[in-house]
Amino acid sequence: MYFLFTYTLFRCNLTSFRREYSVFPSHYVEPIYRKDEQEALFRSEEAMNIAHQQVKPAQITDTCSEFYDARVLKFINTIMRNGDRKLARTLVTKSFEEIKRIQLQRYHKAKTNEEKDNIELDPFVVFHYAVDNCTPVLQLINCRKGGIMYKIPVPISPVRAQHKSMKWLIEAAKEKDDEERFYNMLAKELVSASQNQGRAVKWKEELHKKCQANRAYAHFRWLK
Amino acid sequence: MLSFRLRFKASLPQNLSKILKLFATRSNILETNSNESEQFRVLDLYPQTKVMQEKRKTRKTSIPPSRATNMPTDQDWPSVWPGARTFHPASVPLPLRQGYQEKGASPNKYANAELMKIPNFLHLTPPAIQRHCEALKQFCTKWPTVLENEEICSKHFPIEIISSDYCYSSPTIRDPLARIVNLQVKLSSLYLDTHAKDKLLRLLGNKYNPETDIITITADRCPLRKQNLEYAWYLLMAVYHESWRVESWEAEKSIADMEYFDWDTSQSRTSLVTLYTWPIPPTDYDYEIIPHATEYKIAVSDLINNGEDQYSVNKYKEAVKNLLNLKCDNKE
Amino acid sequence: MERTVGQPVNDSFLRRIRKTHSRKFSTVVEVKDEQASQVCSFRTAENNPINHNTDHIARLYTVPIDIQRQIFQNGGLPGKFMKQVTTFQECSIMVRQPAIEIISYLNQVDYTRPVNKYVLYGKFGVGKSLTLCHILHYAFAQKYVLVHIYWAAHWFKDMKEVATSVLSPGCMDLPIDAGLWLKHFKFQNSKLLSELDLKVSKDYVWNQREMTSQGTSILELVEFGMNRIKYACGVIDALIKELKLASIAGKCKTMVVIDGFNAFTSSHTRIRNDNKVMVLPKQVSLAIPFFDITKNDWCNGAIVVTVDQTANKDRRESHLPRYLLGKEGFEHLDPFIPVLIEDYNIAEFDSMIEYYKDRKWIRNITSSGQRELELITNRNPFVLMDQCKFL
Repeated sequence: MYFLFTYTLFRCNLTSFRREYSVFPSHYVEPIYRKDEQEALFRSEEAMNIAHQQVKPAQITDTCSEFYDARVLKFINTIMRNGDRKLARTLVTKSFEEIKRIQLQRYHKAKTNEEKDNIELDPFVVFHYAVDNCTPVLQLINCRKGGIMYKIPVPISPVRAQHKSMKWLIEAAKEKDDEERFYNMLAKELVSASQNQGRAVKWKEELHKKCQANRAYAHFRWLK
Repeated sequence: MLSFRLRFKASLPQNLSKILKLFATRSNILETNSNESEQFRVLDLYPQTKVMQEKRKTRKTSIPPSRATNMPTDQDWPSVWPGARTFHPASVPLPLRQGYQEKGASPNKYANAELMKIPNFLHLTPPAIQRHCEALKQFCTKWPTVLENEEICSKHFPIEIISSDYCYSSPTIRDPLARIVNLQVKLSSLYLDTHAKDKLLRLLGNKYNPETDIITITADRCPLRKQNLEYAWYLLMAVYHESWRVESWEAEKSIADMEYFDWDTSQSRTSLVTLYTWPIPPTDYDYEIIPHATEYKIAVSDLINNGEDQYSVNKYKEAVKNLLNLKCDNKE
Repeated sequence: MERTVGQPVNDSFLRRIRKTHSRKFSTVVEVKDEQASQVCSFRTAENNPINHNTDHIARLYTVPIDIQRQIFQNGGLPGKFMKQVTTFQECSIMVRQPAIEIISYLNQVDYTRPVNKYVLYGKFGVGKSLTLCHILHYAFAQKYVLVHIYWAAHWFKDMKEVATSVLSPGCMDLPIDAGLWLKHFKFQNSKLLSELDLKVSKDYVWNQREMTSQGTSILELVEFGMNRIKYACGVIDALIKELKLASIAGKCKTMVVIDGFNAFTSSHTRIRNDNKVMVLPKQVSLAIPFFDITKNDWCNGAIVVTVDQTANKDRRESHLPRYLLGKEGFEHLDPFIPVLIEDYNIAEFDSMIEYYKDRKWIRNITSSGQRELELITNRNPFVLMDQCKFL
């Protein structure tokens, strides 16, 4: 009996000694930094529950700015290399500016009002359209059966699908001449992807076609 | 004996009569050995427990209450504590505490070594000092009647000599720091012209404090105070006379060496007069005839001498506008 | 609770986009409705800067396209602003207090007296160059001969070619830059000069065979300089002298407009002579005539210059004119009228935002978003332009 008690205590201590990578313990609450979310929180009962809990500090990218967009932030992080967020941010900012310039040029060229209305001038919306248009619904995974490598189409998780779409957009913009600037190419690519054109969309369609071709192996998913 | 007793203990219920018999014989033998007392002796089976010794009573000495408790409040303190001496709790009617202990308040004044260690100034109370002064008065001369206040003093005696005396317990009564002499004089109390003042300040360097306008000369290179004092006097005299002397090379001083901008000799004045007389080249650089020239002069001098900031630039702008006869009628 | 960045949920996300998108379309329509009523609040129909006065402050006017082509063909508008002009398909400049102030001075000044000097100064990005453009347009409309350097520091920093001067020994020539400047000058003034028909007052001998004789027109002199760029610096020197003489004689009015004048008084250039020793601006033959024309020994004209922290390398701590010009530059220009250009005030900021909305550069911005822009830009025009770029 006594032995058992000491043993459980020991186990408890061991679990509390589990190594954490964060400097903040796991019971700290994630910060809420958007103003509308804060208001919603204060209106709900949730606020009373976490009123006396400790909160992690907000990250450097967390902002209550009007011009914040979580998906754009994700895109910036995907472009980022070697932790150079400043550069990544500049590139995205400049390509958004270029999107606006391209669209405004088309806007001024358009003759009728209907044509003008159809042109999307908001770079954020163009970006969202582009990412959505490039998002695949299936992916292929390799599987070896009887010495033969089969490619099996499986559904893709939303996170992975978005990441793949962003990757394609960036890769499509990176294939350019030396004189071209990355942000200009990215802008062009985003604009064409928002209209379901361009290389990134083509890659997505290719993937879908391959999945279609390999649909005979789809049941291997369960055989594994 | 012990073993015997143990054995006895074990077999007591059975062989009590046998044992009693045995004891009787033994006691008989003992009796024959000690034949003094004829009394019947008591059978002593257990050794008697020792009677607890009574505590020795501490002898209480009657100590009268501390003198400090029944001191009158209007007593003559300098006579209670006439000279410097170590702290004594009974003589000082103050609830003093000194020191530190882990728990509770600091220890009180009784048997407090901490209080005894530190030097005290209980003999230097204001009434005591006043009495000292009163006693010393008969040896002093009268204060000059003319020197009523500080201003007059500093006017008639502008030079202040500061030196320090040291007194402490060591084999020697002479402290090396006592030799240092500070001589202080206000710059405004010296008779100087513009050139001499400029040169004096250059010679003095950091010995002059522009905030308080005081020149401080410190002499400490000689071993005796008197020598240092004489040296400080000499330094002041030398620097004063040197500043009045005009050397031949001083004529070579250029505009770049000046600390301040002199508009009267500047390019600004030339260009102003040229501008005014244009297209005829100016014959003399007289700026008095130009309207608003004085305002302009002050503005330029301020701009360059006081450093440039938004205020001085605006002032310059206004001056130039007046000079050129421009009006800004569209200020919001 | 907020959704973290790492886990977007696709369908809800799509819904959100569609929602915002539809909202956008609705606001586009609304803006159009408002446009008619708001037209006068941030724009002014008065496109002639001669008529600008305090009533037009904090409103934008449009430089007509033909005038824009003529004045700013070879530079003059800042590069980033030029990009905006092409995107917006119009060159609109805000009428601001300093420009109006200088224009009023120019209107009331006595032109028989020596020229006045106006020095624009202010922090980086407050619109010194654009105010200068406004004044340039005014001068063009008033039929001044324009002597315009759109960024003086170019000559000492990114010069095209350096050669030892033939005409003024001991100096360095920048022939290509001089040729370009002559081209710029011709572009701006060709119409006016052909009307005025100014003549050269004396003979200029360039070498044994070539000379410009007395009585040839100034346009021919400029043509000669453009064709023989070896002598372009000498031609500029002659041209400036002729313009000064013509102005004094009352044949024409001359407006000297120099952006970044303190580059001329800088103690650092990238020009090296044959011995690889740095050459100061006053030893550059191209700069000497402009030093000459900024003296106030002539009349019938005006001098408007800016001083800028970015124009020189050695003095960058303050934006105030005396510091930026240095001792020599101050003595050279003195007495001048310093004109401070500041950040936008609230009215100017609002009309700029309205203008951007009108040009579809920013859309459906909320009042709190506008407030945020105001705070992060501190109403600085350049920073505002930069911050609005990606919205």
